[in-house]
Amino acid sequence: MKLRPLFLALTLFAPAIFAATTIVRGPYLQSATPTSMVVRWRTDMTEASVVSYGTDRAQLAMNSKAEGITTEHVVLLSGLTPATQYHYTVGSVAVVPSATAKAAGEDAPGRASTYSFTTPPVAGAVKPTRVWVLGDPGTKNKVQADVRDVYYKFTGSRPTDLWLLLGDNAYPDGTDSDYQKAIFEMYPATLRTSPVWSTLGNHDGKSANSPTQSGVYYDIFTLPTQGQAGGVTSGTEAYYSFDYANIHFICLDSHDSNRAIDGAMMQWLKADLEETRRDWIVAFFHHPTYTKGTHDSDKDSDSAGRMNDMRAIFLPALEQGGVDLVLTGHSHVYERSFLIDGHYGKSDTFNAAAHVRQKGNGRPDGDGAYRKPRTRAPHIGEVSVVTGSAGHASSKPVPLNHPIFFLSLNEAGSSVIDVNGLRLDFTFLNDKGEKRDWFSIVKE
Amino acid sequence: MPGDCLEQFTAYRFPLMRALALLLLLAAAAMVRAHPEVEAALSRVNALIAALPEEPQFYLDRGDIYAQHQAWVPAEANYLRAAELSRGASSLRLDRARAAVEVATGRPADARAKLDRVLKNNPRDAEALLLRARALAALNANEPALADINLALTLVATPTPELYLERAALIAAPADAIRSLDEGIARVGPAPALQLRALALEESSGRIEAALLRLDRITGASERKESWLKRRGDLLARVGLKREAREAYVAALAAIAALPSWLRESPDLAHLATELNRLNAPSP
Repeated sequence: MKLRPLFLALTLFAPAIFAATTIVRGPYLQSATPTSMVVRWRTDMTEASVVSYGTDRAQLAMNSKAEGITTEHVVLLSGLTPATQYHYTVGSVAVVPSATAKAAGEDAPGRASTYSFTTPPVAGAVKPTRVWVLGDPGTKNKVQADVRDVYYKFTGSRPTDLWLLLGDNAYPDGTDSDYQKAIFEMYPATLRTSPVWSTLGNHDGKSANSPTQSGVYYDIFTLPTQGQAGGVTSGTEAYYSFDYANIHFICLDSHDSNRAIDGAMMQWLKADLEETRRDWIVAFFHHPTYTKGTHDSDKDSDSAGRMNDMRAIFLPALEQGGVDLVLTGHSHVYERSFLIDGHYGKSDTFNAAAHVRQKGNGRPDGDGAYRKPRTRAPHIGEVSVVTGSAGHASSKPVPLNHPIFFLSLNEAGSSVIDVNGLRLDFTFLNDKGEKRDWFSIVKE
Repeated sequence: MPGDCLEQFTAYRFPLMRALALLLLLAAAAMVRAHPEVEAALSRVNALIAALPEEPQFYLDRGDIYAQHQAWVPAEANYLRAAELSRGASSLRLDRARAAVEVATGRPADARAKLDRVLKNNPRDAEALLLRARALAALNANEPALADINLALTLVATPTPELYLERAALIAAPADAIRSLDEGIARVGPAPALQLRALALEESSGRIEAALLRLDRITGASERKESWLKRRGDLLARVGLKREAREAYVAALAAIAALPSWLRESPDLAHLATELNRLNAPSP
């Protein structure tokens, strides 16, 4: 009867030995390049980190793993083929999906489900690209969910190639639990299939520190510091750039990095702008250069002068470098400019004759799209958009009277960018499902 | 500032303090009107203060909210109240917070005293070390500042280029400063700010070979090489190596020619090409 103690031990400990860990966050996709992808997820118990992946959903032939055991799993998939759909599953061991694996589109949260993503095309290639833009989304409330659902209905089966978070992603303090509810439980499907790129907002900054790149925000996001996704090495996740097809995205840290004209961020920005060969330059950061919404860019004290800094110090460099589109949040409204250039002062110094490069609404079905020459010329105009209402609009009346804007709305919503070759289409959808603004920029 | 703070501020015993508190109150009120999000954050902590008005922690929290928005005056007022309620048992967090305000408002000596206290208790507090380095640098005590920032850099897992720039600024000897910057490059990557500072130091201290090598590395890693090649030519020309300078200018022109036409024809590049052709022309 020597087997009896063994049987007893197995009976007692088997539940612990075989208890499955649960994925409590993700998986989510980070730092996408044409040949690599970072897959992250969190489990409730420590275990190994393995991603099984392949181009055939029924045969995930490749495996990539990270060293050690952890609850915070970060796995780099490298050697991928550009513009290719991959299927993947995450866990502690390599997983071979059954022959009856679910068809694509049946992704569901849970352990060992099979998800998919598509790698970006080679930098510079022309590919129809859809970008979802969410400013200040993280309220965790019905408005945030409505804004999300409106976009899901709008995009339908068309994949989101990437999405941008413009900061204040998780209210009120950008803590891990704030992020869990405001981001990971709000957008699980998009997180699994589309890489997300973020900039730091002031509420994220309550639980994070840019000079030391520490805290919740920096723990959650894996962002490129070495120019590995395109652009110049920044040496920090606080500000960085990346390419997607023929678009160059520039993320600045308007909240917690040095904004001096001779500071490291500015020197990086100038070098990055000079380096890029992409057709389009889209810059995004949290604090708007112009706003008369829930913040006022005319007030020096508002946001400790950060809006002034971004307008007076960084905007001239962006315009010198040929930026096409500037996306910001912070002010919980939607404000969209004409095609503009050179306005670095307060709103009372705005002069339409000097600062508006092209009047009109920029709508192909209205006054016509904004048109720019296909060249990297400085100061030929950009459109500035404050889209900081993906979580809520202002509950109080706001002025919305900055003269640089063609349209100002106190409405919750999110923005969509579609780029196809030398044409960029922009849409703002409110939380009721209405298309409240649109414009196009065409390069020729 | 919401009214429930008034009671706390007017609890000061001396008329002068009351007047000061009132001024602070007005300044803070103006700020709150401008920032609805500050109002929301303050309302949460104000409720806590209303419930437990003798709890120093909440004043510290409220000071932090103001400090995050660089509203130094109300921030310091709250920190002072927290210190008063702590009855001398000042916490390390409070000392560090007050020191941060003092560094930001140009009182490095006051900050240093508090940071000495913090670091005596926790010598590996990286944030306090960086603050004390800044305070010491403002007091022209570069050597101890350097020691603090060196230690902080060993404690911060992912330092930014800015920290290495700060450190290099404390080093007088160009060779040592360049070495310090190269350490930064090795750790955080070839960030432009570090490369450009190192290049400037190499050029200004006559380390031409080193500068050329650095330029070669930068050029090799760049998608757009023309500006770096021009810089190489300019450096060679300055030290009298005219033939080599012309070679660099020719290479820059070739780099421009290899670009797609829409980029090549941009005004900046057209101007650069004109300049390169002028520099490359044979001397009369």
